[in-house]
Amino acid sequence: MATSHRNRDKMSTNSRDSMISVEDEADVFEITDFTTASDWERFIARLEEILHEWKLVNHKPHPPAMKDQYSTGSWAEKSEEVIFADFRFTFTYMYLKTGEETNSEVGKQDRKGEDEDVDEDHRTPTVFLDLMNFDNDFPSRTHFLCRWYGLQEFLTLTPVSEKQCIDSESRAKLLLSSASIALGNSACGIPLFVQLQSRWRKLFTGTSLVNGGATVEFEMSHLKRLPSQFCHLAGLLDVFKSKLGCTYISMPPVSVSVRFTYILADWIHGSWPQIPPDFSSSFCDGEVGYGEIDFLPFGACLDPINELHLSCTWPCLSEDMIVENSLYSDLDPLQAPLWSVRLQMTDNPQCLLGDFLNDFLKLSERQESTEEVLKKVMPEADADRDKQNPEISHVLQRLTEPVPALSSVPSLGNVVSSASAKITFRPEDAPIPDELLGKILIYLFPDAKTPNAVHEGKVNSSAKPSSDPAQSASATDSGSETKAPAEHVSDIAAELNKKLKSSPTDSLTHKLSLALCHVNHQFGGLLAVAHLWQEFILEMRFRWENKILLCGIEKGAPNLGSCIVHQKLQMLNCCIECKIKRESSGFGYGPDSLNAHNTPSDALLESTSASSTQNSLHKVGSIASSSGDDEDDEFFECEDDENENPNEEQATAQKISVEAQENARVKKASKSSAEDEVLSTKSDVSQYQDSQTHRPEGRMVSMKNYFLLCTGEQLYIPITQEPSPMTEDMLEEHAEVLAKLGTTAEGSQIRARMQSACLVSDMESFKAANPGCILEDFVRWYSPRDYIVVGENGEDVPMDEVEARSKVEDPDMKEGDNVETESGERVKMTKALQGRLSQRMQIPGNMWVEAWQSARAVPARRQKRLFDDTREAEKVLHYLSSMRPAEVVLHLMPNIVHAAVSKVAGEAAAALVPNARSMLDQLVSRAATLTRSFPLDRNKYREMLRLLELAETISARTTSLRSKFTSNHLASPAQEGKEEEIEGFVTSLLTQGEVSVRGGACGPAGAVIHKMFIAAQRSNNMIMDDEESSDFLDSLYKKPLSRHGSDRRTSSSSNNSGTGSTGTRKNSDLSVPSPTQEVRSSASCADFPPASVREYILRAMVPRPAPYSKVLPQRMYCMLTDGDNRLAGAFTSDSTFQ
Amino acid sequence: MEEQEILTTLKILIIGESGVGKSSLLLRFTDDTFDPEQAATIGVDFKVKTLTVDGNRTKLAIWDTAGQERFRTLTPSYYRGAQGVILVYDVSSKQSFNKLDAWLNELETFSTKQDMVKMLVGNKIDRSNHEVSKEEGLKFARKHHMLFIEASAKTNDGVQCAFEELVEKIIQTPGLWETSGKTIRPGQGGADVSQGQSCYCVI
Repeated sequence: MATSHRNRDKMSTNSRDSMISVEDEADVFEITDFTTASDWERFIARLEEILHEWKLVNHKPHPPAMKDQYSTGSWAEKSEEVIFADFRFTFTYMYLKTGEETNSEVGKQDRKGEDEDVDEDHRTPTVFLDLMNFDNDFPSRTHFLCRWYGLQEFLTLTPVSEKQCIDSESRAKLLLSSASIALGNSACGIPLFVQLQSRWRKLFTGTSLVNGGATVEFEMSHLKRLPSQFCHLAGLLDVFKSKLGCTYISMPPVSVSVRFTYILADWIHGSWPQIPPDFSSSFCDGEVGYGEIDFLPFGACLDPINELHLSCTWPCLSEDMIVENSLYSDLDPLQAPLWSVRLQMTDNPQCLLGDFLNDFLKLSERQESTEEVLKKVMPEADADRDKQNPEISHVLQRLTEPVPALSSVPSLGNVVSSASAKITFRPEDAPIPDELLGKILIYLFPDAKTPNAVHEGKVNSSAKPSSDPAQSASATDSGSETKAPAEHVSDIAAELNKKLKSSPTDSLTHKLSLALCHVNHQFGGLLAVAHLWQEFILEMRFRWENKILLCGIEKGAPNLGSCIVHQKLQMLNCCIECKIKRESSGFGYGPDSLNAHNTPSDALLESTSASSTQNSLHKVGSIASSSGDDEDDEFFECEDDENENPNEEQATAQKISVEAQENARVKKASKSSAEDEVLSTKSDVSQYQDSQTHRPEGRMVSMKNYFLLCTGEQLYIPITQEPSPMTEDMLEEHAEVLAKLGTTAEGSQIRARMQSACLVSDMESFKAANPGCILEDFVRWYSPRDYIVVGENGEDVPMDEVEARSKVEDPDMKEGDNVETESGERVKMTKALQGRLSQRMQIPGNMWVEAWQSARAVPARRQKRLFDDTREAEKVLHYLSSMRPAEVVLHLMPNIVHAAVSKVAGEAAAALVPNARSMLDQLVSRAATLTRSFPLDRNKYREMLRLLELAETISARTTSLRSKFTSNHLASPAQEGKEEEIEGFVTSLLTQGEVSVRGGACGPAGAVIHKMFIAAQRSNNMIMDDEESSDFLDSLYKKPLSRHGSDRRTSSSSNNSGTGSTGTRKNSDLSVPSPTQEVRSSASCADFPPASVREYILRAMVPRPAPYSKVLPQRMYCMLTDGDNRLAGAFTSDSTFQ
Repeated sequence: MEEQEILTTLKILIIGESGVGKSSLLLRFTDDTFDPEQAATIGVDFKVKTLTVDGNRTKLAIWDTAGQERFRTLTPSYYRGAQGVILVYDVSSKQSFNKLDAWLNELETFSTKQDMVKMLVGNKIDRSNHEVSKEEGLKFARKHHMLFIEASAKTNDGVQCAFEELVEKIIQTPGLWETSGKTIRPGQGGADVSQGQSCYCVI
């Protein structure tokens, strides 16, 4: 039957033949079954099918789990969906992943000895072993069914929808019996449970068909209130025994395991110390340094540790040995053999750092552009004016406005000036108050405080001079404070700097990120961020236009290992630097008029026609290297200023025509189809060879032992143009353009031409520095391996080889010895004369020759700039100003993450978080991957912030717990020397779920916990902490706590503050330790509150259902708490001898 | 087999002193030709080839660089994101061998992938005047954890083998190309663009 069901799906309706053949086998029932399968049958078949899939058919018994394996081992789960009529169920198999086979064999043999009478023929079924397994009585974390029944594997059937539930008993029975059929058919002994009622009630009924003729019934009752006669062990034993139904005398004693759990929620001596930082004061209070902007909040607002749960366990007692009834109890927590503790953490302790950063990241979801955001607060009239006024004016205003002057009294002049200056806002509308904005800007640009010559000059000439020198001077007074506090340098910090793609922690980018984060948090989010960003961009433009280097941005080409915004700022700095060089010192590149006039003698030497050639040649390079967008070329480029040079006026006409030709050529060239034309143009201009008569210029240094081949003059290395700095995105774009040209020969040719700008520039510089030079001279400097000389044995050898050899031969010959080697040099020069260009350099029309021919003798400073600072600066400024606030946020996230990780690192180190190192390493590596991945992914950053928040919570927990356990109030002489153990206990409490307390109540950790409970109890009962009680405490710890009280019945019952059923209240009274009788009567309060949870496991080996049945394991788990009481029984009955 | 999916696109670099035959090696590999008059590369050049190694079809974007000292301010920008590098020297030039250390330094500085696969190729073994022995090459490669092969672009010895070996090794280092494929978006605007990107994508 099982087989036919399983195959049902595979059979198609038209397989009549096969059906008939089945019929022929005379299994009539099956055929009808097959064709008219009911929902019920289909359900059973499906279950069987799944059981087969999961390989649970003829399931072999497992050995019982080893000690604590339920909590320490790993659990696995498989599930499928099954349908019974229109009712959908999830069919789940939960099981403990068992270890290697050898271990289990041993365990099995052990068990066999005990259970011999239960099962002769077969190995003891897993269920039986599990029910009687004492090693895993109260697992600290596991599935509730496992906890209640002690099972290491089980199946569950749960309705898929929350709304549907099995609420009638008949339905439950039908379901369970159907499932039983499936289990029976599959010879699967794994217990199967069906969920009843609403899901939250966790109410199940189950069954297990054990091989060898026994059935286990799993029953459960779940009650809000338990009748008081059952609220203790005695009552529960009665229930258990009556359920077993054997009233005969020879009933073996029931074995009992008990666990009471006490909850400590009032931390008298260790309440949460964290006070949320007051942002407003730190910012607006003039006294506080600007360094505050660096500050990231940290910690939890609520105590991250909510409760401490102390579980006192009495494992495996005989019912005869322990008494607990309505009047008396042996179950004194102080005498429990096992203590274990777990912490209940606060769900959301409101972590400051996490909230702070998440607020910021949330902005990345906003779509508005900066303008749109700011428009909302911009008065209409002002908006119009804004269009007319150049942006620069309010930047000037901003910079020159002395910060402290605006702080207190809003004088009329003040208001007027801000209204006109900061066009965007009326002062009262500005999201960031003036005063604060000034502070932030000075934090970002500490150098702006120092009155600087350039500044002052510009200020005075600006349209709205509002600066008062006295005020600016006063602004500088506090300049010393502006230095950001030195970053705590540690391994982590170094690692962060190295691994993260962010920016240095003292950089402008970093500061800007933090400042934006702060204004977001305090001044109305998006608007404030947009405002500050706007101000920042204005400042950038101001600095560019006034040639003020950005402070806090390291010089040099963009560091590709930093975030893109930082690279852009570095780029801008390069531009500013270049501009300063170009304009102020008179030394610069580019044929701008200023330079040309300054050096008329140079200009005279230039052949006008050659100049146009050069110009056009460069055009190829520059246009091509800027990936072909030539429209802004005209806009920012000032190369045409050359026309103003009177010496070149006659060339203009010619030049224009050549240029037009060039433009056309470039366009065609980028379509990789105009090679011939390029060449023809080149040959046209190749007639303009450099004259040998010009004066050498732009020499950097002489090249030892090298002389020009034609003239015999010393060869000089020229001053050359530095290659253009590039940011990551430019590089990528550039590489993309190069790659787009394809892999054809033409493509390669164009690629080479595009990149030849640098080569041509170097050639021109070389020519300028070495009048009368030829390509061979150039090659000897530039590509020495392409100059071939005849070696000693007559073979062709690249020049560098010869040199290398001669160095080896002549180790005494040093480069510095000019005089001594004079003759030697001459000899070598002669040798060099015998050399020639390598074969590849001689190819007619190759790029090198071509470039050489077209290159004029122009020193680097008068060449067209390879790096066009104006254009690049404008590009950067455009890039920055076109960013939406959301993009700004996202692009600055790497810096925020950087700052946050180092903050967490510092705090975790301070809090002595256990395993802090591995936690931080993980954070760092996650951050490294995250900041390097592209494109920036908001969700990944959110994930990162979640991790940071977790680390923050862990850190806060550690702080909290440690302060609780090491509070001075808890110290006592007996504790001395035990700090280490307490420390270890705290650590394990933080890292593990449930921790057993070594030595129970008598151990050092136990003693501390005991004191905490006492303190909480006293405060709850309004008892003053007095001398007496501390004496009592001392006496308590001097005496061993092993005495059994005999007269507890007299104990005070005044403590009725406990809530809940009579049972719980009773227990609280009974749990008072006897040595404290007298003291307590004066204090009239128990050490422990009433147990919040009481769990009992009752087990017995009893024949069921009849006295002559097999002896089988019976078990009942009881959990009593306030308002939620549960009895879960597993009763086995013999199905053979009933 | 034509339509077999491309597993990944790999970025390969070819570096080494000028005139050691980098472009010739590449031309031999991609076009199976040899041009004794191969012009000196200016800046960087670029070729694409699809290669099937162990049944994995991979697309190689190979960046050929100029070896001249002066170009070294320009070329390292293209090192970014490369998963494999072929470092070439000329067996008939001791000098080109002696400069290898400098090249490795440069690679260390500018490459973005820590575990990129490096291969050392001794080119021009067709020549008679060997100045660098195979043993020296082997020793260097062992010292720097590189693959090593001697080859000749002219006679087509070992060229194919070198590239195949390199790609196989890269494929065997899954973190090198799998993770990068996930984090980098496929190129927008057709195959031409994605081919052109200095990154790679799993298609």
